[in-house]
Amino acid sequence: MISDNPYTPIPAELAEVIEETPTIKTLLCRPENPMAFKAGQFVQLTLPGVGEGPFTPSSSPLKPEEIAITILKTGMLTDRLHECRAGQTVGLRGPFGKGYPVDDLDGMEVLIVGGGVGLAPLRALIHACLARLDRLKRVSIKYGARGQTELLYAAQYAEWAKHEKVDFTCTIDRGEPGWDGHVGVVTTILKDMDLDRPNSKVFVCGPSIMLKFTVYALLEEGYTPEQIYLSMNRRMSCGMGKCGRCNIGPYYLCKDGPDMKYSLIKDYPNVF
Amino acid sequence: MSVYYVAESDLVKWLAGLPDRSVYAPQATGTGAWVSGFDPDKGAPALDKARAAQSTKSFLMPPAETVARYGGSSRPVAVAEQPLALVGVRACELRAWKYLDKVMLEGEFVDPPYKARRESAAMISCDCVACAETCCCTLVGGRPYVEPGDGADVNITALDGGYLLEPMTDAGAKLIGPGWAEASDGQLAQRDGLRQDMVEKIEAQNARFTFSATDGAAPDLPEGDDDAWQRHAADCVECGACTNICPTCHCFYLFDHALADKGAERVRTWDSCLLSTYHRMAGGPQMKLSPRPELRSRLANRILHKFVYSPQQWGMLGCVGCGRCVDACLGAIDIRDVVEDLKR
Repeated sequence: MISDNPYTPIPAELAEVIEETPTIKTLLCRPENPMAFKAGQFVQLTLPGVGEGPFTPSSSPLKPEEIAITILKTGMLTDRLHECRAGQTVGLRGPFGKGYPVDDLDGMEVLIVGGGVGLAPLRALIHACLARLDRLKRVSIKYGARGQTELLYAAQYAEWAKHEKVDFTCTIDRGEPGWDGHVGVVTTILKDMDLDRPNSKVFVCGPSIMLKFTVYALLEEGYTPEQIYLSMNRRMSCGMGKCGRCNIGPYYLCKDGPDMKYSLIKDYPNVF
Repeated sequence: MSVYYVAESDLVKWLAGLPDRSVYAPQATGTGAWVSGFDPDKGAPALDKARAAQSTKSFLMPPAETVARYGGSSRPVAVAEQPLALVGVRACELRAWKYLDKVMLEGEFVDPPYKARRESAAMISCDCVACAETCCCTLVGGRPYVEPGDGADVNITALDGGYLLEPMTDAGAKLIGPGWAEASDGQLAQRDGLRQDMVEKIEAQNARFTFSATDGAAPDLPEGDDDAWQRHAADCVECGACTNICPTCHCFYLFDHALADKGAERVRTWDSCLLSTYHRMAGGPQMKLSPRPELRSRLANRILHKFVYSPQQWGMLGCVGCGRCVDACLGAIDIRDVVEDLKR
């Protein structure tokens, strides 16, 4: 946090606005001072005079001077964020939360499961993994989107998959002309994976219903609740465990998450 | 530190003369007491009445305040009010302030406006020599009188015809007037008697409750998906009175608005976890927009936060037994009955 007052956003210039899909844009933000963050930590993005919302940067934590925030157009604030143009000033607070346990992944099989815009925070994890690939056993990325046009970061899949230790598979919900890849929701590509299961950690991000069915599918495949990390993004607001709105039981997602080990939260109702 | 005895006129003179502070104290009303600006012309504050209807929370955590300004020619936000002296703060409220200090001041991020007001405020507490029917501090591991270390600078006990004043911090000792007489052994014994009487009275009025709750041992309550919560949620009208009146409830909402100088302002207001809009998130028609769409699970979350989650988060219960939520509830929900009914 750069400001003395943790409620004050620091100004950031929009270097570029990238149209990713018909419903998703990425804002490249250049904060006044570089904002160091860990993959999986989130920031509060302020549209001046309108409000702020929590987003996990989708760019590499190794590049804190330019933070990419990938945004689905889905509500009052994100509608306005989609109208932003390069050169405009926005605000950033943070980073908040714990971030992904990247340091604990040495020697591990990393399974990354994304749904829709849920690939955004996972891309920061993918970048962090690619930067230390020599220490990891393997990285498998499983991604599902509604249709071909909604596949996020489609131009980058080949680059991720060109690494020998990286496997990338994607699927779309329903078949479409011109698509010869997998068809079906993301859980359909989680069956019978040839992975070193006991030596794995799984990171999942996507809409609530996707998280739920992905957890069920993973448990069925034999993964344990301790191995599964879920991006439990709720209405995180202050980011500091004070405003109270993002709790699951005794945990505040803004402070203890936003990625939570499933074993910690599985016994609380209303997780999904 | 010594304990002093003062007459009513000396107490009034002392409070009126506290240097460079805005003094707030309970004033008697037709039905009890209400904390407002201290007016020496009205005599001594109502320290012989039960705790005031409202807690002192709002004096250091106002219901709405600007927490940041940004952009434009905006000047930074700073708490500029005169430091406060809060008079007649009860033991239960001091416990609530300890809880709020943990939330607002501990950890990686400190809340600047809270810190500024809290550190400059003088806490002048008082022992309870009367209680409300809903008072239940002894039920949650508390007591109706104040001891050194509870967080008061000076503690007052209303005796027949006068007051005992006990400074409890160095800052409190500096507030004490010169030439005050030390309390006699008889007066101290009288204070002990009053304290014991009040403990017994509060224990007696809560005798029907069998659950046990202390900071170290929370009651065992079911999670919010248990149908039993519906028995109590059926009476909740989602007004938020309990969260507003509670001395430990601190949930807030942040919103921004544009200022005329092309800058913007960030405002926080109190919020209530019982309201259906509380967790409302962005999202389309297919998505679950609130994690707790049912009132039953929101009511459960509030009570579980007080009794189960807070001890895990802060090592303290979130309920201090002031009973205000019971007085304020339009649906006549009594938090003691809820815990008693649902405990396992």
